[in-house]
Amino acid sequence: MSGFFKSIADAFYVALIEDNRYLSYLDGIKVTIIISLLAILLGVAIGLLVAVVKVASTNNKKLWLLNKICNLYTTVIRATPAIVQLLILSNLIFTSRNANEILVAALCFGINSGAYVAEIIRAGLESVDKGQMEAGRSLGFTYIQTMKLIIIPQAIKNILPALGNEFITLIKETSIAGVVAVTDLTKAAQYIGSVTWDVLTPLLIAAACYLVMVLGLTKLLGIFERRLAQGDRN
Amino acid sequence: MIVTKNLQKSFEGHEVLKGIDQRIEKGEQVVIIGPSGSGKSTFLRCLNLLEEPTGGEIWFEGNNITNKKTDINKLRQKMGMVFQQFNLFPHITVKQNITLAPVKLGVMTQEEADKKADELLQRVGLPEKADQYPNQLSGGQKQRIAIARALAMNPDVMLFDEPTSALDPEMVGEVLELMKQLAKEGMTMVVVTHEMGFAREVASRVLFIDEGIVKEEAAPEEFFDHPKDERLKEFLSKVL
Repeated sequence: MSGFFKSIADAFYVALIEDNRYLSYLDGIKVTIIISLLAILLGVAIGLLVAVVKVASTNNKKLWLLNKICNLYTTVIRATPAIVQLLILSNLIFTSRNANEILVAALCFGINSGAYVAEIIRAGLESVDKGQMEAGRSLGFTYIQTMKLIIIPQAIKNILPALGNEFITLIKETSIAGVVAVTDLTKAAQYIGSVTWDVLTPLLIAAACYLVMVLGLTKLLGIFERRLAQGDRN
Repeated sequence: MIVTKNLQKSFEGHEVLKGIDQRIEKGEQVVIIGPSGSGKSTFLRCLNLLEEPTGGEIWFEGNNITNKKTDINKLRQKMGMVFQQFNLFPHITVKQNITLAPVKLGVMTQEEADKKADELLQRVGLPEKADQYPNQLSGGQKQRIAIARALAMNPDVMLFDEPTSALDPEMVGEVLELMKQLAKEGMTMVVVTHEMGFAREVASRVLFIDEGIVKEEAAPEEFFDHPKDERLKEFLSKVL
């Protein structure tokens, strides 16, 4: 029995401590976090824009072309695998040879996430009763004022939990960034495995790292949601 | 004050209003009755352009509001509206519901609006509800707050779209009482309702809208005691 534990301890020693390998994981985590953060920011920006176009176009016929473009975007992005999008985008951009892989990956995940965020925000805005818009407009508010003062504050508590889920999905999805030569956490683990001839242990370590990151984010979102719920009397 | 000229509205080929000519004077209380689907709510909602007319003109205080160049937001500030479903803002308190529009539209400072809100809450008999949220109120209380919210902008005319239709019977009275009080003070009102008693007591003029046109209009005594239109006679015999 003790031999069994000893061999596990040895495997972890080799995968983690020997030759300061833990530094590789830390570098990988750093890359994963950078890609995720940039992608989240970009995704929310794109998503917000697309959602506003989609919602506004229901009562403004002038936006139909923009709306068509947004619909095409969400449809294509949501109906194709992220890894294929990543490969396509990197091949498009890597034709110019000195592109930064991390930025390309962040750009791709941002564009990908934007489509999902757009649907989340759109659904949140549309979940608010349409009488609220009428009441706002009848008092003399403009469309934008009504959105800002009345619709968005109510939509936000429907949007945030779903948005949190999207962030969690995004963090995990960045693990495919390795296919375009980005050394993220997963790629770092694979690399160590190829050096030490023990593939499994580094992957277990990587899995644990993802788990910690996602649980940390979940905790953070939970605190945020509870704070939001304090002012909520519905 | 409000003039409609050959006002028409159709929804995807279905003609709801087939040309309505009306002149509503300052200080009048016009009550509109009619069977459901007759276009009476649509007519009311056209007056502040919540529904965009597909033909004809609407003039409000000398402005053609059907003209695209008219700033409808500015004019809506002078037209209060009360909805069947109240449409209070659930995420802010009762008092904030009342002060939101005057403050954010720059009509009053926060202090002025707060003072006005206190007066209005007193007037609708709900001063103790100021810091509660709309969902803590009963239907009748919600509608009284909705009226206060509309009054906070000091409107020149109040539009009521079936204000008591979503209420429990026991709560109808308190809302009608408030509306009677408003009428007595000389507020110009356009009211779509099924409350015949209210129409008879409060209206300066009653309109019967059916199939998208005004089939009869008269002072309440004449309207209810000597109806001329066949369709109106039939309608009254069912509801009275």
